[in-house]
Amino acid sequence: MARGSTTGAGGSRGFLWISALSLGLVVALPALFVVLVAVFPDLGRGSLAAPFRPLWRVLSDPALAVLLRNTLVLGLGTVAVSAALALPLAALRALFRVPCARVWDLLLLIPFMIPPYIAALSWILTLQPRGYLEQLSGVNLAGLLFSVPGIILLMALNTFPVVYFILSRNFETIGARFSDVGRVCGAGPWRAFLRLTLPLATPGIAASLLLVFAMAIEEYGTPAALGRRIGFEVLVTGIENRVSEWPIDLPEAAGLSLVLVLLALAAFAVQRWLLARRDYRILGGKPQPFQKRPLGRWRLPVLALFALVAGVATVLPLLAILAAALGRTISGGLRPDNLGLTNFAELLDLGSGGLRALSHSLSLGVATALLAGGLGAITAYAVARGAGRGRAALDALSLMPNALPGVVVGVGIILAWNQPWLPVSPYNTPLILLLAYTCLLLPQPVRYASAALQQQGDSLEAAARVCGAAPRTAFARIVLPLMTPSLITSMLLVFAVASRELVASLLVAPVGYETISVYIWRQFDQGSVGLGMAMALCTIAITTLIPMLLIALMRGRLSPG
Amino acid sequence: MTQGLPPALSVRALGLSYGATRILDGIDLTLPAGEVLALLGPSGSGKTTLLRLLAGLLRPDAGRIEIAGKAVADPGRGLFAPPERRGLGMVFQDYALWPHLSVARNVAFPLEMQRCPTAERRARVTRALERVGLAALAERRPSELSGGQQQRVAIARAIVAEPPLVLFDEPLSNLDRELRETMVDEIAALVADLKLSAVYVTHDHAEALALADRIAVMRDGGIAQLAAPATLIDAPASAGIAAFLRLGTLLPASRTEAGWTITGSRVALPDPPNAPAGAAARVLLPERALAPAATASPDARARLAARVLRVQVRASGFALTLRLAGTEHEVALLSPRPAAPGDDLELAFAPEALRWFPATDDPTDHPLP
Ligand SMILES: Nc1ncnc2c1ncn2[C@@H]1O[C@H](COP(=O)(O)OP(=O)(O)O)[C@@H](O)[C@H]1O
Ligand SMILES: [Mg+2]
Repeated sequence: MARGSTTGAGGSRGFLWISALSLGLVVALPALFVVLVAVFPDLGRGSLAAPFRPLWRVLSDPALAVLLRNTLVLGLGTVAVSAALALPLAALRALFRVPCARVWDLLLLIPFMIPPYIAALSWILTLQPRGYLEQLSGVNLAGLLFSVPGIILLMALNTFPVVYFILSRNFETIGARFSDVGRVCGAGPWRAFLRLTLPLATPGIAASLLLVFAMAIEEYGTPAALGRRIGFEVLVTGIENRVSEWPIDLPEAAGLSLVLVLLALAAFAVQRWLLARRDYRILGGKPQPFQKRPLGRWRLPVLALFALVAGVATVLPLLAILAAALGRTISGGLRPDNLGLTNFAELLDLGSGGLRALSHSLSLGVATALLAGGLGAITAYAVARGAGRGRAALDALSLMPNALPGVVVGVGIILAWNQPWLPVSPYNTPLILLLAYTCLLLPQPVRYASAALQQQGDSLEAAARVCGAAPRTAFARIVLPLMTPSLITSMLLVFAVASRELVASLLVAPVGYETISVYIWRQFDQGSVGLGMAMALCTIAITTLIPMLLIALMRGRLSPG
Repeated sequence: MTQGLPPALSVRALGLSYGATRILDGIDLTLPAGEVLALLGPSGSGKTTLLRLLAGLLRPDAGRIEIAGKAVADPGRGLFAPPERRGLGMVFQDYALWPHLSVARNVAFPLEMQRCPTAERRARVTRALERVGLAALAERRPSELSGGQQQRVAIARAIVAEPPLVLFDEPLSNLDRELRETMVDEIAALVADLKLSAVYVTHDHAEALALADRIAVMRDGGIAQLAAPATLIDAPASAGIAAFLRLGTLLPASRTEAGWTITGSRVALPDPPNAPAGAAARVLLPERALAPAATASPDARARLAARVLRVQVRASGFALTLRLAGTEHEVALLSPRPAAPGDDLELAFAPEALRWFPATDDPTDHPLP
């Protein structure tokens, strides 16, 4: 749409430069160092010797190849279980009158708000020997929990809501527009579903499952908390090991990182290709109201299925977190006289480590939201309205962090900024966390801002120029205000995710500087589970309630009355 | 030829509510086989809803639907045939072609569902595509066709199985005007050729008049009038319908000692054949009954003085907007002769051509949207 437009060309030349420089520093530099060190392992010593050795070793050394294999097992397994959970639920939700449908939607949104490492820790508390389940029922499922299928199941419970939400919308649109026509043409409900709805939804299904695959292979917390105990290492945990535990082997970490990134990139490339295919794009016209079918005698079984899945995916982890946070001692177990607020008192005690971690993470979250939001707006604008060849590169660069797992960004930042010969470096200051979070989360504001710009078209800005506004004025007075609502939404998202990010924080946080996630992780290692879970509860509350409140306020201001 | 056949469609006392809102109420319709019924009404009057009830995409909560003599919905007796068991053809407003199937596969789908043998299926698909002039594009994807071509594929898909009843839901409303006019002619020819029974939903009265044997004017979820096109034009059942069809100028009239006059003026009107009750009425001055006195026929005995306000040149003549002398009312007139703004013109009409309505018949004076 914006191709060939020149309305913003003058104004966006400056933006192009700002955006290119910042993206270079924040995104390209760490990525570049990962590649360089993976190819030239001795670069740190100024030598180009033994090119490709780390990469070659990752692919040939059986000990490292196992990491790749385990990663694939975890990714594909999570995809399979996610699909098995989400597909039937989404189809039922979209095509039938499921009782209390809104309630199930709301409950299935909650896993998005619980960071996976916190969910994994809560499952450990529930299923481990003498865990909550055993206290209540006498059995423990530790055997399942600490096993590869168990890890896959937990990862699927965290990720399947993504597929569920994408697919239920997908099925609903298709059901209304295309499946009904099939019914009129003589196809029964099953045939219409199998011949029309399912094939039409295939690209959507595949794309959402690829997203799940990428999420699964990039995840650190769950495999680290569960897999280590049974010696199940994946690429992410392997990389973390080589960076943080003796003997440190940065070239090997870079080699593993490169393999992981290529895997994630491949998943994203296929996903983008699938979504961009024209054939399946819904053709023009306005959708018809769509009457969902009654469930009849399947009402109760379906209700039970939704209750079971929502209960396991959402309610149980939340209850476990709550129980641990309110338990005075872990050994005291689930007894009324063991409940109290001591953990919260200790957590919020003035001058305590918990309070410091909270303030660190919240201020970093705000700073990241501001930086990523500003950079995202400028980049989206430069890409959409600018001229010149740099735009495509800039666009790719701004979306690349989608395929950069947190652990890789951590490694890249260490490699780039922890060089002894650098005269000044943000390394070992909180700024390094800001860099890491901005790199990881930049794609969000870019995506939201681009969508807003595309919706605007460029005639609004052109009209301002015709009315006598200079490019910068037109941007500040017309373009920016119009994209502000979506930009703010994306910044709230950035805030929520940045303030609880785990693995990059573990890798690059300055000595003695704890974020929320690092705090929770360490409490668990040190046995102060209750304190960790009290912090987890506060985190979930703060990072979901604050953005939700702000969004509600914004809606109230924007809509009349 | 169609005599002795049951009606293609028969609807009795059909009703539907969403929650407490009554969307459709007391719909009665009969469509003889081989005829076209147009459902004509403003947006929101319930046309699509009625059509989806006929298709089986919605369940009625009262009344009865019969298609080709067979009951397909009767909530009173717990009867509801799903869409696939009604054997219909339907053309959707948004085409609703399946983007993952080729044009030929789209059209073949209804035959496949009837388990029609492959060879016959192929022949019938080709024939249907030839009818709509798209045989050459059979292997294309719907996304590779223009809007008009997509609509033709949708029509081919609806007629390929030769259903006893074809439903059209505003099939042309997404096309531009020129294409719309050609497509109306094509659909009319197709319907006549195949002797289709059809229900055709539209909000455009020109389309309805061009295609239909009978027109049901819908308003607020009910049928305001069901009549042949000529009857509808000649004798609209209410002032509201006359306004919706833009049949001419509606004037308020009052009874005085001297006879009927246009309310608020001294302009006299010819006496109505059956005097309306009360001292006030509304009268339709049909545009097609008006002519400049100089060119009028001898029947046009009544006269009204008017002054030309605006003139538009048209291919078919001069479209004049005039103000009736002594009033603020405007009338439109298509005159074969030119005129200039400011000219005074004598208008002639036959007194029998006026249509009289009770003053309270319709609260909305203006034409419906
Ligand atoms: N799903 C629905 N829920 C509530 N009201 C509806 C629904 N669908 C349609 N309506 C209402 O029913 C009326 C008739 O709609 P519709 O049949 O689409 O009209 P038309 O096709 O004549 O424009 C409208 O007033 C519309 O608002
Ligand atoms: Mg409609």
